[in-house]
Amino acid sequence: MKRQFSPIILVFLLCFALSGCDKGFEEMNTNPNASPLVNPAFTFTKAELDGAANAMVLLQGTMQYTTSYNDVAGFGAKYVLSQRSSSYLAFTNAYPKEINEIISVINTIKDDPAQVNLLSASRIWKAYIFSRLTDLYGDIPYTQAGKGYTDAIYKPVYDTQQSIYADLFKELEEAALAFDAARATFGQADLIYGGNTTQWKKFAYSLMLRQAMRMTKVDPAAAELWAKKAIAGGLILDNADIAKVNGYVVTGQDINKNPLALNMLNSDYIQANGNSNTEGGKFQDVFINSLKANKDPRLAVLSVVYINGRPDTSAAIQKGMSAMLGSKPSDFVTYSEPNQRTILQLNSPYLLLTNAEMNFLLAEAALRGWYTGNSAAALYENGITAAMQQWTLFGPAGIITPNQISTYIRYHKLPVSGTVAAQLEQIYNEFWVGVYPNSQEVFATYRRTGFPALVPNNYVGNATGGKIFRRMEYPMTEQNLNAENYKAAVARQGPDDFLTRMWWDK
Amino acid sequence: MTNNILSGQFSCKNLVSIIFTAFLLLLNVFSMAENVHFQDPDPRISLNVSKIPVTEVLRRINKLAKVDFAYGSDVLSSSDRVTINVKDEKLSVVLKMILEPLNLQFSIGDNLIIIEAVRPRNKLPAAKASISPDQQEIPIKGTVTDQKGLPLPGVSVKLKGSSIATTTTSDGRYSLLLPDGSGTLIFTFMGYLVQEIAVAGRAVADVAMKEQSQELTEVVVTALGIKRDKKSLAYAVSEISGSEFTQARENNVANALTGKVAGVNATGLSTGPGGSSRVIIRGNGSLNGSNQPLYVINGMPMDNSTPGGSATSNGGSDGTGNVDRGDGISGINPDDIESISVLKGGTAAALYGARAANGVILITTKKGRAQKGVGIDFNSTFNVDRVIVSPDWQYEYGQGTDGTKPVTQSQALASGRRSFGARIDGSSFIAADGLSHTYAAVKDNVKDFYKTGTSFTNTLAFTGGNDNLTYRFSGSNLSSNSILPNSTYNRKTANLSLNGKVGSRVSFEALAQYNVENARNRPTAGDALGNPNWTPLLVANTTDVDWLKPGFNAGGNEIPWNDASIATNGYFVVNKFRQKDTKNRFIGQAGLTFQLVKNLTAKATVSRDFYNYDYEYILPSGTLYTPNGQYAALKADNAETNGLLTLNYSGKITDDFTLNALAGGNQQRSVYNLLSTTGRNFTIPYFYSTTNLSTIASVPTNNRTAINSLFASADLGFRSYLFLTLTGRQDWFSTLSPENNHLFYPSIGGSFVLSDAFALPKVISFAKIRASWAQVGGGAPDPYQINLGYTSQPSSGQPIQNVTSTTISNRNLQPYTSTTTEAGIEAKLLNNRLGVDLTFYNRKTTNDIVYTAISGTTGFNNVILNVGELDNRGVEALFTGTPAKTKNFSWNVSYNVSYNKNTVQKLSEGLNQIQMASSVNSYAFINNIVGQSYGSIVGTRMQKDASGNTVFNATTGLPVTTGLEVLGKGVAPWTMGISNDFRFKDFTLSILVDGKFGNKIFSLMDVYATRLGLNKMTLPGRDGGLTVTGVTQSGAPYTRFIPVSGLQSYYDNYKSYTDLFVYNAGFVKLRQIILSYALPVKKIAAVQSAAISLVARNLLTIYKQTDNFDPEQSFTNSSSQGFESIGLPRTRTIGLNLMVKF
Repeated sequence: MKRQFSPIILVFLLCFALSGCDKGFEEMNTNPNASPLVNPAFTFTKAELDGAANAMVLLQGTMQYTTSYNDVAGFGAKYVLSQRSSSYLAFTNAYPKEINEIISVINTIKDDPAQVNLLSASRIWKAYIFSRLTDLYGDIPYTQAGKGYTDAIYKPVYDTQQSIYADLFKELEEAALAFDAARATFGQADLIYGGNTTQWKKFAYSLMLRQAMRMTKVDPAAAELWAKKAIAGGLILDNADIAKVNGYVVTGQDINKNPLALNMLNSDYIQANGNSNTEGGKFQDVFINSLKANKDPRLAVLSVVYINGRPDTSAAIQKGMSAMLGSKPSDFVTYSEPNQRTILQLNSPYLLLTNAEMNFLLAEAALRGWYTGNSAAALYENGITAAMQQWTLFGPAGIITPNQISTYIRYHKLPVSGTVAAQLEQIYNEFWVGVYPNSQEVFATYRRTGFPALVPNNYVGNATGGKIFRRMEYPMTEQNLNAENYKAAVARQGPDDFLTRMWWDK
Repeated sequence: MTNNILSGQFSCKNLVSIIFTAFLLLLNVFSMAENVHFQDPDPRISLNVSKIPVTEVLRRINKLAKVDFAYGSDVLSSSDRVTINVKDEKLSVVLKMILEPLNLQFSIGDNLIIIEAVRPRNKLPAAKASISPDQQEIPIKGTVTDQKGLPLPGVSVKLKGSSIATTTTSDGRYSLLLPDGSGTLIFTFMGYLVQEIAVAGRAVADVAMKEQSQELTEVVVTALGIKRDKKSLAYAVSEISGSEFTQARENNVANALTGKVAGVNATGLSTGPGGSSRVIIRGNGSLNGSNQPLYVINGMPMDNSTPGGSATSNGGSDGTGNVDRGDGISGINPDDIESISVLKGGTAAALYGARAANGVILITTKKGRAQKGVGIDFNSTFNVDRVIVSPDWQYEYGQGTDGTKPVTQSQALASGRRSFGARIDGSSFIAADGLSHTYAAVKDNVKDFYKTGTSFTNTLAFTGGNDNLTYRFSGSNLSSNSILPNSTYNRKTANLSLNGKVGSRVSFEALAQYNVENARNRPTAGDALGNPNWTPLLVANTTDVDWLKPGFNAGGNEIPWNDASIATNGYFVVNKFRQKDTKNRFIGQAGLTFQLVKNLTAKATVSRDFYNYDYEYILPSGTLYTPNGQYAALKADNAETNGLLTLNYSGKITDDFTLNALAGGNQQRSVYNLLSTTGRNFTIPYFYSTTNLSTIASVPTNNRTAINSLFASADLGFRSYLFLTLTGRQDWFSTLSPENNHLFYPSIGGSFVLSDAFALPKVISFAKIRASWAQVGGGAPDPYQINLGYTSQPSSGQPIQNVTSTTISNRNLQPYTSTTTEAGIEAKLLNNRLGVDLTFYNRKTTNDIVYTAISGTTGFNNVILNVGELDNRGVEALFTGTPAKTKNFSWNVSYNVSYNKNTVQKLSEGLNQIQMASSVNSYAFINNIVGQSYGSIVGTRMQKDASGNTVFNATTGLPVTTGLEVLGKGVAPWTMGISNDFRFKDFTLSILVDGKFGNKIFSLMDVYATRLGLNKMTLPGRDGGLTVTGVTQSGAPYTRFIPVSGLQSYYDNYKSYTDLFVYNAGFVKLRQIILSYALPVKKIAAVQSAAISLVARNLLTIYKQTDNFDPEQSFTNSSSQGFESIGLPRTRTIGLNLMVKF
C-alpha cells in the first residue's frame, strides 16, 4: 500500500522544492502605487514648495510682530521653554523633505550636460535651503546630509557653519556661471522663475550677497570679497526679479497654498472675527506702535481690527497686544491682527528674496565702502520704495500709492550726517518693516547688527532670562540618533540652547 | 493538471489549486486500487477450511485480516480442529463460529484479539503456541493485581517480541511457557498503565497494575487543530473552556484571558465597547512586529488586524490617529467558542510558522452533535458599566488665576480649566456659562458626564444532526451603549458549523461566520481636539460640567469653556462630532479529511477571513479650533487566505513505539487595501459630504503579501511515558528579495512521565518533566521594503513627487529567527488534590528586522535593518488545589504567576535606542534601549545634587531638567491570577483576583492637571506664595520666592519633569465574580438545563498606586504601552446571565 502513495507525496514535495516556492513573489512585492524612478521636474517642484513652506513661524513673535496670550509652542514672543519643540521643526522638516528631494534631483541629472540649467537651479535651491538652515542652528550636517540611501551614511557629521558658508559660496558661483541659455530648463515645473536662467543667476548672486553680509561681524574681509563678487554678478534690483514661489491657489491641496498664510490662518485667524483666534494670536504692540508712530501706509495693508465682526483698517483703532499676557484679556477683540486680504491671502506668492532686501544690504555695503554704484541714502530709499510696492503682489488691498511712498520717505530720510551706526539703525529699522513677513531674515540681521534694537519681553517664567534667542535648538532626536556628531557640534559651538551664538554671530 | 504535477513544472502560484489537485489525485489512486484492505476493526473475510487445527486457522485469519491473536497456552489445543466455509463474512461472526464450539470467547482490542476460555479448562497446559518442539520450554506464572492488591482478570500478558501471550483468569492468575528464561513480559489492561517486567529467569512474576490517572488522558487541542494527549506534550499549553467567556462576558474574548493563564499578559483597552485587546505571551519578542499572538480558528489562522492601524499615542487631529477601531478577535462571539488553547512556546507554534513566534491562541468553535430533534441553546446577558475611578484633585482652591476667582464671564472663560483661583469658600462667582454659581468644590464631574453604559447580548444556537451530518447554527446580537453619551456599538454574528461524512473514508467540516459590526462615536484619546474626556477630567474644580451643556449654541457652534480652543467642549464632541464605522466580516473554512489507509489520513483545508471596513470621521463646522471642519475616512479591505494540505499518520511502529507523523504544505495570502481620505473646510457649513470639502486628498495603500510553506512533524511515543516531538518548516516570504526569502527552522522536544516510568511514592499521583528547543523564523511584516519608490502627491498645481517612504529600503533583508528553549515540570500530589506546573523558558530573537530610527539628516527617518536582538527569559507557575471535595460541596483553587525578564540586547551598530512613541507634546517617550526591557518609559527628571537638593537655573529660576532617562518599564514583568471556584449543590461561585507588577505608567492627564492647578502637587504656596530652595548649577545655595501670581507659571513648568508623572502601575484587582444557580428544570420536559448567573467584572481594585486614574488605562493595542493619555475612564461591569438549553 505504501508504495502507492509515497511517490505521489514525493512528487508533490519535490515540486515545491524544485520549481521554487516563490514564483511571482517579486511582482507581488512591487508597490503598485509607487514609481521606481525619480521624475526630476516633479520632485524639483516639490522641493521648491517644501523649502518655501519650511518657515520658522515662531520668529514672527521673537521679532515682535505678533504675540499670543498663550505661551504655547509656536509663539516666540515670550521666549518660554515650550518653544523648544517648535524651534527644531525647521531642522526636522528640512532633511527628509526638501533636502532629500533636491539631492534626489541632483543625483539624477548631475551627469547629463544637457540638463545643466536644471542642475544649476537645483544647486542654487539647495544652497538656499541650507543657508536658511545653518542661519537658524549654526553647525549642521551638510556634506554628509541626505546620503542615507545612496551612501548608507546614517550618522552624518555636523559641518562647521564656516565651512558650510565656504561651500555655499562656491556652489552659488559655480551654478551661476554654468547656466547655458541654449539648454533646456525646468520650465513650468520651476515655480520661482519658470525656468528663466537670467533670473536664476540674479537669485544666485543675491543669495551670495545676503550670505556675504552675514559675515560682517566675524570676517569682514571675506564678507567684502563675496559681496563684491555678488554685486558684480548682478542682483535682484527690480520687483520683477523678486525670488518668490508662484502658483499658489485659494482652494485645493494645502501644499499649493501660500505656506505662511495657511499656517497663520490654521493656527489662529481662520475664524476672522477678532475673538475666536485659535491660539490667541494678535499683532504685538511693538510692531503696531512702530507703524502707527511712523504713519506707515503699510499699517492699513497689514493690520485690521474687527469691529462687530468686520475688519477695519483705520489707523486710529489699530492696537497691538502685549506679549506679557498670560491669559485671554477681556478686550481681546480690540487688538490688531493680520489682514485677511493681504498677508493671509492663500494665493499670494511666497517671497524668498526681494528687491527691497538687496537695496537695504547694498545701502550697508555702500556705507562700508564696498559698493559705489549708488549712495547709501538712495539705496535705502529704493529699498523702502521696493518694500512698499511689493505689497501689490498680494492683491488690490496691498497697493500703496507712489504719493504715499514719497511722503513716507520724505519723513524717514537716512540720517546721512549721523554716525554709521545711526544710519545702520535706520536702514535696519526699515528692513524690519520692509522684509516683513520674512522674520527669519530680520532675525539674522538683528543678530548681526543689533537692529532693530528690540527690547526683550521679560515674560514670567521665560527660558532665557528675558533675552532674545540667538539660535534655534537642535531636535532632541539628534541627541539619541546622532549622538557623537551632535556632541561634537555642541562641544565646538557651545551649549545647545537658545542663547548660544553661532559662528557669524560671535 | 495531473501531468503538470508529475512533471514538476507547476508553479507555487496557487497552492490552493495544487492542494486540491493532489487531493483529487489521491482520491483517484485509492479508489482505483482494488482489494484494498482497509483497517476496519471488524473486516469481512472469506474462509473455506476443513478439519484444520484451530491454531492453523487462526494463523490464516491473521494473514487475511491482519489481526493478531493473543491466548494463553492452556486455552487452545492443536487437537481442536475446525471446519468452516464462509464468504465475505464479518470477522467477529467467523470467530464466533470457530471459537464458540470450543467453549472459547474472544474480545477485539486495538489490533489484538484476545481469546480465552469461557470457563478455565481443568486440564493443565499441554498446548504450545509457536515454539519448535525441540526447545526446552520454561514455565512462568504469577498473579496480576490492581493498586489495592485485588486480582485483576482479563489482563493481557505477552512476551515481548513474540506471539506468546495469554490473559489472566478471573482470580488474576496467568501462566505461560517461555522459550527461555529471558525476555520481557508486557501486561496491558484498559484503564491501566502498561507494565513491563523482565523475566530474568524467574518462575513467578507477580504484578501490580497502576491505574491511569484522569489527567493522563487529558486531551488538548494543539497546532493545526490536532488533539493530543496532554501528557505527551513537550511544551506548556493551557486550555480554557468556552463557558469561561460566556457568563462574565467581555465583548472582546481576548480581554477575558486576563489573569487566567500563566505567562499571558492580556489587557482590555479602556476604549469602551467594541474596543481592542492586547495580549502578550511571554513578553514582547520583536522590536518591530505587533508582538501579539496568532489567533487560529479551528486550525486555520484568523486575521486580528485593526483597520487603519492601532491608535497612536499622539496621533494627529485628523480623526484617524487616536481612535481604537477594534481588532479582529473582538468580532468573535464568545457563545460560539468551545474552548481556547494557548500555545505559549515555540515548539507549539512551529507548525504555524513566522506569525506564531509570539505564541498561538487556538479557538475551537462549537460543533453540532448527532441527536434526536433539534437542540436549542439560548444565552442572554445584560451588563451595566460604571466608571471606576474619579480623579482625586485638590479641592482647596477653586477656578481662577493668580489666586483670584473669576467675577466676569470672560474671566471664567479665560480660566475655564485652571484652578489657580481663590480659596474655595462657598461664596459666589461667575462661571463660564455667565451665571453666578457657588464657589464650591464639584467632585462628581466624571460621574455626571459619563452615564451608565449597557451591554445586551443574546445568542440563539441550534444544534443537531445524525451520524452522517451534524450542524450548529448560531445567531447573536450584541448592543452596547458606552458610558460616553451617544457612543454605541452593535455586533451581529451568524455562525454555521457543519461536520459530516461521505462514505466511510471521507469526512468534511465547514465553518461560515458572518459579522456586521457598527460603531458610532468611538472615543478618542490623546490630544485635546475632539477628545471628549478633557472636559470632565480637567474642568476647573468649582465648575459643574453640567453648566457646559449642551456644548453648542443655537447656530450649532461650539460654546467655549476655556481659553484654549483646542480643548473642545466635551458636550460639543459627543453631540456634534460624528464618527461611525461599519465592518462586514466573513470567515469561511472548508476542510476534507480522507482516510487513505489505516492510520493514514490526508486533510485539505481552505480558509478565508475577509473584512470590509468603512470609517468616517467628521469634525463639524462650528468647532472653535477648526471652524470650517475636517473630514477623514478610511475604506479598508482585508483578506487572509490559507490553503493547507496535510498527511497524518498515527499508529504503532512496534508494541513499544507509537508514531504520529504529519507532513504538509501551506500557502498564505494577505491582501490589505486601504484608501485614506482626508479633507478640510466644509464649503457649505454643517453639510457633511466629501463633495462639500474645499480640500480633499486620498492616499491608497495596497499591500499584498504571501508565505508559502512546507512542514513536517513527528511525535514519537515510547510505552506511554516517553515522548519525542520533532518539527521542521521551510517558509518562503514574499516580502524579501529572492536571494534571502526562505528559511528552514526546526524544533525538538521531549516529555517524560516519571510517574508512569517509575514507582514513585504514593503521595505523588503524577509527575512529568518536559523540555524543548524550537526555532521560528519570520519575514518582513510589510511589503515593498526592499526597493525605494517615488510617489506622486496630490497637487492643485504642477505635478509633484517625492520618495514614497521615509524609511530606507533594504534589499539585503533576511528572515529573523526566534529561538525558544523551555523546560518544565508537572506534578499532581495527594491523589490529584494538589497540582503544580512549572515552566522555565528563554526566548531569544536574533536578526530581528528593525525599523531603526535614524537621524533625519540622512534624508530619511528610518532604516530597516536585520540587527535586533531581544531576550525574554521567564518562569511560569501554576498551582492547583482542591481543598474540599464532597458530594455537595467542592472548592478548587488555582493560582498562576509568571515573571518575564525582557532585555533588548542589540539594536544596531552604534545605536542604543529607538523611539517607539511619544506622548502629546513629547512630555514622555517609549523607547527600546539596549540593556533595558522592551518599551521603556523615557523622560526627564528634575535635577538633584548629591545631597538631594533641587538644582536651579539661576537665570530662569526654574529647576534644571536632566537629559532623557529611563523612568520605568512600560510592560509588566509580573502577572498573576488566583481563582477560587466553589460549588454547593446547585450553586457555583467563581472568584478571580489578578494582578500585574513591576511596570510604570506615565500620565498625560496628571501633567495637565498640574499645569492647570488641579493636581494636589500644586497646593504648596497657594496661601501667600512659595519659597523654593536648592542649589544653583554651580552648587551655591539658591532661594527664590514665587508670589501667588507666579505659581501658575511655576507649576506649569512641571511638565518639563517627566518623572513627576510616572507612577507605579502595579495593581491587584478583583477581576471577576460569577455566582451561578442551576435552575431545577428537570421536571420541565422541553428544557434540558438552565442556569442563571450574577456576574461582575473589574469589581474592585484592591491595590493600586495611581490616585487619579486606573493603572490599566490603556488606549492602544500597539506595542507602545505605558501611557495614560486622557482616554475613556475604565469601568466596572455588573450583569446577569441566563443560559437555557432545550
